[in-house]
Amino acid sequence: MEKKIFPIGLLLVLTLCPAVLHAETLSVVTRENALRADCSFLSTVKSKLNYGDQLEAVSKDGDWFKVRYKNIKGCIHKSAVTEQKVNLSGVKSSKSSSSSEQEVALAGKGFNPQVEDSYKRKHSELDFTKVDRIEKFKIPEDELIIFIKNGGLDQP
Amino acid sequence: MDTIKSTADATQKAARPISDEEEYYVGRAVAAQIISSYPLLDDKGLTAYINKVGQAVALHSEKPYTYGGYHFALLDSDEVNAFACPGGTIFITRGMLKTAGNEDELAAVLAHEIAHVNHKDGIAAIKKSRWTEAATIIGSSAVKEYGAQDLSKLVSIFEGSIDDIVKTLVVNGYGRDQEYGADKAALTYLEKTAYDPAALKDFLDRLTVQGKSSKGGILKTHPGTSDRVEKVKASLPEKAADSRFVQKRTSRFSRLLAK
Repeated sequence: MEKKIFPIGLLLVLTLCPAVLHAETLSVVTRENALRADCSFLSTVKSKLNYGDQLEAVSKDGDWFKVRYKNIKGCIHKSAVTEQKVNLSGVKSSKSSSSSEQEVALAGKGFNPQVEDSYKRKHSELDFTKVDRIEKFKIPEDELIIFIKNGGLDQP
Repeated sequence: MDTIKSTADATQKAARPISDEEEYYVGRAVAAQIISSYPLLDDKGLTAYINKVGQAVALHSEKPYTYGGYHFALLDSDEVNAFACPGGTIFITRGMLKTAGNEDELAAVLAHEIAHVNHKDGIAAIKKSRWTEAATIIGSSAVKEYGAQDLSKLVSIFEGSIDDIVKTLVVNGYGRDQEYGADKAALTYLEKTAYDPAALKDFLDRLTVQGKSSKGGILKTHPGTSDRVEKVKASLPEKAADSRFVQKRTSRFSRLLAK
């Protein structure tokens, strides 16, 4: 009877603890992002991150990765990273086979800033500075937190 | 045999997913096209407000982060309309904002548009032949700086892709299934954010009434509103939102719109 306690206990520990990952490298796939203190969207920012930054995955906790970046520990949401290395040079890797790998190898290729620049020259009637202005309009996170709390909304 | 192989390769490449980065550039050009037809409404208070509502909802969507992030902007038009550009820029008109009865209905409209971004419904409007052509150029080039000939071809494909999307957004509208899918996802986002999911039904009810006196804007591109109301009604969660907070949110909505 006692012998069963250990496997059940181990099973409980494995079920309740976040998955531990072998030092896996993750790449940031958004233009800007942040390493968060806790695994929630609006928790304290420990470090700013940019597209292509490499993070060392420590463990997985639901939709979040616990990672290490330049010796700083923190969290990042799964939608902000890929498990494949982002090829910033745009050179396609010969080892790529799956669609996700191809997507990453094609980073910076296809419809890119060079294509946008040519498109802008062809369409001088379009005002991209207004698009830039829309993208630069940011809500400070502390304001968003107050807005969410005051409105009785859920803070993810 | 080579021809068969190259056709097969091209077909496979055509099915490649568009990267988030490419989607971002497509979305920027679509946004620029929309702004050329509908002027931006320069109101910092209202713009901040719709961004707060939109960001709160987007964080509860399947894809809280896109390459360039979510951005919400107002268009200075009486037309009742909203547009989701690929990548995450979302426009709503002044007419749409006025049609929304409260913050929860505004959140419902934005949630529906966020779902179109998440589901890549705009990108799906691009003709498949363009992907085949683009894949041939992208696949044959080893670097991301293109030579004049390839660049010219790519820009032409880019132009065509933007036209396909703008035509769908402004003239033809999405398919019925895409609309139902966006409504369904919107209900989930609203519930997760703690907005009242019934606000989507309330808003669609109002659109239906308005549709009897007007046929432009969203009513032109979103046909069958009564069908959508029925489907939304059938999918509403049992638990209602906390009415005290709905009131509180309605008050801040009314205060801002009264300014």
